[in-house]
Amino acid sequence: MPAIRVTNLTKTFRTKHKAAGLAASLRSLVRPQYSTVEAVRNLSFEMEAGELLGFIGPNGAGKSTTIKILTGILYPTSGEAEVLGFIPWKQRRKLAYHIGTVFGQRPQLWYHLPAIDTFTLFGKIYELEDREAKKRIGKLSEAFEIRDLLQIPVRKLSLGQRMRCEVAASLLHKPKLLLLDEPSIGLDVVAKQHIRDAIREMAVHENVGVLLTSHDAGDLEALCKRVIIINHGQIVYQDKVSTLKRSHLTSKLVEVRYAEQVPVDFQIPGTETVKVARERYGVKLRFETRHTAVEQVMAALSAAGTLVDITISDPPLEEVIASIYQTAS
Amino acid sequence: MKKYLAIFKINLLNNLAYPAELITRALMILIFMWIFFQLWAVAFSESGTGFLSGLSLREAIWYFLLAETLELGRPRLARLISEQVKDGSIAYLLNKPYDFLIYQLFAGLGESLPRMAMLFLLGGGLVWAMAGPPPGISGWPLAAILLAGAWLLHFCFNALIGLAAFVSEEVAPFEWIYQKFTFVLGGMLIPLDFYPVWLQSISKALPFAYMMYAPARIFVKPEWSHFLQLLSNQAGWLVLMGGLLILAYARGLRRLAINGG
Repeated sequence: MPAIRVTNLTKTFRTKHKAAGLAASLRSLVRPQYSTVEAVRNLSFEMEAGELLGFIGPNGAGKSTTIKILTGILYPTSGEAEVLGFIPWKQRRKLAYHIGTVFGQRPQLWYHLPAIDTFTLFGKIYELEDREAKKRIGKLSEAFEIRDLLQIPVRKLSLGQRMRCEVAASLLHKPKLLLLDEPSIGLDVVAKQHIRDAIREMAVHENVGVLLTSHDAGDLEALCKRVIIINHGQIVYQDKVSTLKRSHLTSKLVEVRYAEQVPVDFQIPGTETVKVARERYGVKLRFETRHTAVEQVMAALSAAGTLVDITISDPPLEEVIASIYQTAS
Repeated sequence: MKKYLAIFKINLLNNLAYPAELITRALMILIFMWIFFQLWAVAFSESGTGFLSGLSLREAIWYFLLAETLELGRPRLARLISEQVKDGSIAYLLNKPYDFLIYQLFAGLGESLPRMAMLFLLGGGLVWAMAGPPPGISGWPLAAILLAGAWLLHFCFNALIGLAAFVSEEVAPFEWIYQKFTFVLGGMLIPLDFYPVWLQSISKALPFAYMMYAPARIFVKPEWSHFLQLLSNQAGWLVLMGGLLILAYARGLRRLAINGG
């Protein structure tokens, strides 16, 4: 039985409209204007138990709405969904014992209290025996390296530390499925890596299925085996991450900063110069990993001057989606 | 039940995390009680007998203390639910294995109890110094029962207004109207006994009288028959409002639209 089965799922919201100005405000009082937004459109997919599935797309693509329907918080407008054999919006409380959720932009830990207080509360809410809860907190503290953080009021933790506590808290009741909505949003590179490693380790060791939404292609590469990309509420791509990487995540962006000025027509063989900063200390380049090796670019950049800073990143997801559309047409 | 007690406990801890803030907020009641005393001292001295509708100045001020304790100490649930819908944090409250309304009830209790205790202690000290000792202890248990019922009625009204946020997000205007009704028809600004008979009849036929007037009146003038009458009316309103709340929650959930996705 698949962990998640979604068939023709659609969710629409009604939004009120009002033009600027006093007259429009008065008109809106008498005759309000509404428009319908289709957040999710005829979505169908399946996810196997224990699978690590990436559910990605740009902002406003419908990722979070889908997660909220799958946790039973939102009712769909039409279509069907089954999560671990439950219909989420009809059996929300029963389903809650078997799933863990993290909404990266919203804290679930009590802000003014040490994280251990929220862990203890969750132990009671999920009806764990005190001894069992204590043992579980110990195990999660090890996995997420949060032992020393649990006694500190949450407001005093860094975002990275807090997120590790958030994800650990969502695993307290040994869920079979973890729904992570942008768990790495706002984190720096090191904190992102830290949290990705811990999630992967727990998922593999405890056979927890992970459905991860993100607009960061790096999350996907680090954590998922399969990916679904949605845009405007519809699936635009679904396949193995390795296939996506081979076919669409083929370019890298490099941003470098030198100690001395570079020429206006700065060039590195095998790369395309996207931009030379006006003060001529910074350069942005793009290259195709199929044609040019990363080491080759690094060596050439290093030879061109004294490097102060360097960042290598994937192209923004919007570009990947555009490339998918281009390939399809 | 254990989970709801844990919810109560964490809300209590959260409120006690900053005792200085708790005390500072409670200081408001000192200003209110001082103003009430100054105003009503004039009104009572004008009456010539020292009594208005059977209440002495001392009783009236203790009446206001209990009403103010309830008003300032009750949780602002309507605003809270509205904020939870607006900032999306309601997603975390709805995806846990508990009843959302019972969660809010115990969370509200945890928030309300330390605040009400602090308000009553600080305000009570000042009222004792200005107007005299509190009413006899015999009325306290009866007032406590009606106070619990009044708190629950406030909870039902507030939760109903809060649930409107599932559809309209902004609930401040509804909350404003509700609060003014409790001030005027609930007997918070003026004890209902001071009203003309026709207005008393209207007030006592509405639920607001059982949210302020009932516990405060029995606190200062404990009469068994009056208590039973107030209690039965309060219980009736509780059943009605509680039923409405459960119905509204079931329907509201279908229309919930959460920000941020």
